Amino acid sequence: MSITAETAKQHANDPAVLCCRAEEGTVLDPSNFEDPAIFPDLVDSGLLNLDGALTLGQVLNGKTKLTKTVDSLTAITPAIAEGFDAAEAAAEEVVEEVAEAAPAAPVAAVAAAPAAAGTIKLHIGEGKNIDIEIPAGLGGGAVAVPVAEAAAPAVAGAAAAPAAEVGEEKVVRELTRKHYNITEVKRGPETKIEGTTLYIREGIEEEAVASQDLVTSMKIEIITPELYHTYSETVMDIQPIATKEDEWALGEGYTRVLDGVVTVVTGTTDEGIQIAEFGSSEGYLDENMMWGRPGAVDKGETMIKYFVTIKNGKNMERPGPIAAHSAVDYVTAEIRNAMKKDLPETADSEQVLQQVRRPGKKKVVIVKEIMGQGAMHDNFLFPSEPVGVLGARPNVDLGNVPVCASPLEVMDGCIHALTCIGPASKEMSRHYWREPLVLEAIHDPEVDLVGVVFVGSPQANSEKFYVSNRVGQTVEMLDVDGAFVTTEGFGNNHVDFVTHIENIGKRGIPVVGFSFCAVQGALVVGNKYCDAMVDNNKSNSGIENEVLACNTLCTEDAIRGLALLKAKMAGEPIKAAERKYNVNVKNNNIELIEKAIGSSIELVDNEQALPMSEKRKAKYD
Amino acid sequence: MDNIQMLLRQHVGAPCAPIVKVGDKVKKGTLIAEPTGLGANIFSSVYGVVEEITEDRIIIKPDAEQPDEYEKIPEGTPLEMIKAAGVVGMGGAGFPTAIKINANLDHGYILVNAAECEPGLKHNIMQIEREPEKLIKGLKYVMEIAGADKAIIAIKKKNRKAVEILDELLKNEPAIERHLLPDIYPMGEERAVVRECLGIELEPTQLPSAANSVVINSETVCRCAEAVDEAKPSFLKNLTVRGQLVGGHEPHVFWDVPVGTSVNDLIEMAGGLDEQYGEIIMGGAFTGKATTLDAPICKNTGALLVTMPFMDLKGAKMGILVCACGGNLERMQDIVKKYNATETHVCYCKQAQEQKNGTRKCERPGNCPGQVKNNMDFKKAGCEYIIIGNCSDCSNTVMASGPKMGLKVLHQTDHACRAVDHALYRTLRVSKSVDQDLNVVDNVENN
Repeated sequence: MSITAETAKQHANDPAVLCCRAEEGTVLDPSNFEDPAIFPDLVDSGLLNLDGALTLGQVLNGKTKLTKTVDSLTAITPAIAEGFDAAEAAAEEVVEEVAEAAPAAPVAAVAAAPAAAGTIKLHIGEGKNIDIEIPAGLGGGAVAVPVAEAAAPAVAGAAAAPAAEVGEEKVVRELTRKHYNITEVKRGPETKIEGTTLYIREGIEEEAVASQDLVTSMKIEIITPELYHTYSETVMDIQPIATKEDEWALGEGYTRVLDGVVTVVTGTTDEGIQIAEFGSSEGYLDENMMWGRPGAVDKGETMIKYFVTIKNGKNMERPGPIAAHSAVDYVTAEIRNAMKKDLPETADSEQVLQQVRRPGKKKVVIVKEIMGQGAMHDNFLFPSEPVGVLGARPNVDLGNVPVCASPLEVMDGCIHALTCIGPASKEMSRHYWREPLVLEAIHDPEVDLVGVVFVGSPQANSEKFYVSNRVGQTVEMLDVDGAFVTTEGFGNNHVDFVTHIENIGKRGIPVVGFSFCAVQGALVVGNKYCDAMVDNNKSNSGIENEVLACNTLCTEDAIRGLALLKAKMAGEPIKAAERKYNVNVKNNNIELIEKAIGSSIELVDNEQALPMSEKRKAKYD
Repeated sequence: MDNIQMLLRQHVGAPCAPIVKVGDKVKKGTLIAEPTGLGANIFSSVYGVVEEITEDRIIIKPDAEQPDEYEKIPEGTPLEMIKAAGVVGMGGAGFPTAIKINANLDHGYILVNAAECEPGLKHNIMQIEREPEKLIKGLKYVMEIAGADKAIIAIKKKNRKAVEILDELLKNEPAIERHLLPDIYPMGEERAVVRECLGIELEPTQLPSAANSVVINSETVCRCAEAVDEAKPSFLKNLTVRGQLVGGHEPHVFWDVPVGTSVNDLIEMAGGLDEQYGEIIMGGAFTGKATTLDAPICKNTGALLVTMPFMDLKGAKMGILVCACGGNLERMQDIVKKYNATETHVCYCKQAQEQKNGTRKCERPGNCPGQVKNNMDFKKAGCEYIIIGNCSDCSNTVMASGPKMGLKVLHQTDHACRAVDHALYRTLRVSKSVDQDLNVVDNVENN
């Protein structure tokens, strides 16, 4: 269908294709052109050939004339038109230019480096899938330094203090993580820590079960690396074991954390139905755990694996999973007390996390959409202890409205995640503890991260729009220059995910979205502000492969997202995406960013690195 | 001869009220019904006796003898006489002419619509060839009434003989020009005439008066001349009868047919129905509707077309593309049924803007807005066939993608075009603009 001048402007860089027959001598105007939105279908069906096509921007200059009478669906090429504008420098050229300049840029010049740089291609799915190519806003080669550092604590949890470059930076507050190594977990007469051994009191299971009406049994297994090939029911959560020192609140002061051991929550109903909905990660742990993901177990760690059963029929109701989590926390609470009591003042290592503000830099906010549909989807917000239960408020009960958190609160376990469907794309509690986007953003010297806004994803559309409107207003009042919106899972939550993006975008604030989309999670809805998206997919086939945390947001995604937002804030045009998921787009982008920053970005493994499970063999690969 | 049936509504507006009773003797030109609101006088078209009056018509049994004399309308100003004569737009719409031309234009234009755009029609052009003086005479009355300084006769360039005759006459008429139109549909659409002649694009809601002009059909202009010069009421109609008739597809042009004559009588006069035919269309192939043998013609009936038989598509899935140029959805559904197809999906041309009265008008008549999106929708809906009612340009666009997608394209007018030996509306092979010099051969398609 013919287009308006406004539509033509939006598609200035898209091919100019006649919607109708036009005669020789016609001076072209927007009404002569077909809407580029439908080109992909036409190209797919062989109806349209875009070879050599001029862009709408080139031909809509008021003086481009047809030199030949041609029929509809003909692309305007130099052979049939005159008076069109010359092509602007192709995107690839821009990339090269900047890529060459980058290594030469002195480290000190970073702050002054212009925002515009190479081209980045990113992938999203809207309706189907969308890939994006954009000129990136990465500065000079010096960016590599904070990137590399940021990756360290995120991946290894090592005691490396962030190299906060002072200058005009302002440290708002600090959080010190005190790391204590645990090399062995045993059962014993009391819960205590002796040296590097954690003892869990025998018989505590009965008390934990008794603490919850809906819980019918609990089993604790200590899974050491030799036992990774152990069958497990679906993993409902993975939690760091940490506790606050003294009276410190979440997100400040001192937090003690056990290294080398994590809590793994699993469960079924009495009759063995997984507490899950869309796929579950049940199976052998070593075949279903994407080691090293922010939210997953790291290889080498010992798991304290809880198998909780709840009453039949309660697996899909909020109280069921809450009871299972609460029963587990009954045990963890006792471990926390032992940590307070038994651990020495001096930790094995310390990591100082700083919340810094960078006045004068581009202000950005991270909006994290968390699940809040009820049923088994919920999150406990702001417990008294890291990833605890006590003191927290379920976000469903808060009405899923936006709630603000400091980056340090996020990194200090302010989210106790009760999500469990779609194991590959859901964010476990541990994910927030090591949230890569927060880490990347707070370490990026070019942006000023104001904080994190959590918003629940309600079940009903009316409620989705309700909370989305609140997100838009919240972000407007934060007066930021750019925003990220992340989500977990896919499908239902994409409705509010894209509405958040719309509500932010329509206020003139550049926004970048993160989601698993790829093949299976293609966005079911979209809007014009969804033009800068990062696909969290890592799976080989672009699917929810039921491998725990496989498709969650990782450092490599955060790097792409930051580059994208910086470009968008700099007003760089965004190249429209390909229609079908194509992993090469992401790979190309990574390469382009690597060129721009002058160092390599390590990509994480996917499920192909794991032993093949029977389930995967049968269902997916 | 069948009885004459005078419909009480032969015009835009409310039905007229009968002023005769059953048993009354009437002559040609006897006033038998008067307007009750917007409307025009209705006269008997024969000598005879009123046999029956129903809600929507007066039925007159004609006498065996039919003298030529008729009852005259009272003398008056030209406008009064045109009004008294009950002249209505004879191009098809039937708007009361006296109201239309009482326009108080400010040095405006009368645009004579002689496009004769519907395929297969001949009577308008033939009338210009036969009695051009009557046209010029009537046009001068209309110009004077409407306050127009100038007039433009819009006629298709293909009608060379008529144009030459007009050009000869217009040598002595500085206020009257002619404008040549390309041979594409819908050049006769009122706003298309304004655009072609004056270069002004009207919105669908605007009347030609917005362009300081009045558009009037050529036969109507001649009837105005008859009303003023001969005090003759409007009870006669010229029309083309054509199609699947005994004797072939050649046009039968009938002059001064009494309004109210049955379809059956006219078809018999034209040779009678061929054994095989599809439907009888009253009016043009684009804008007309299926009719029956017992129906009467009206003051605004321009044609009776007897179409080719319909193919039997054996229930194939068919999409309907409704456009302002062709039939409305109801008419298209009627044709789908006659093709024995299954209506599967309906699309509307993007430019077919719905008006307050439920009809559709094209935003830019004759200039396509693109059709591929509709074709994609038809394809998605699983259509095997689509039937379209579009103009030449839009049909061309549909053809650019439809068949490649595997859609079999039928045009609403196909069965009529085949019966009047007119090319089917598919790919456009002529230019949409023509040189105003009759002797210049226009841009031949170069693709």
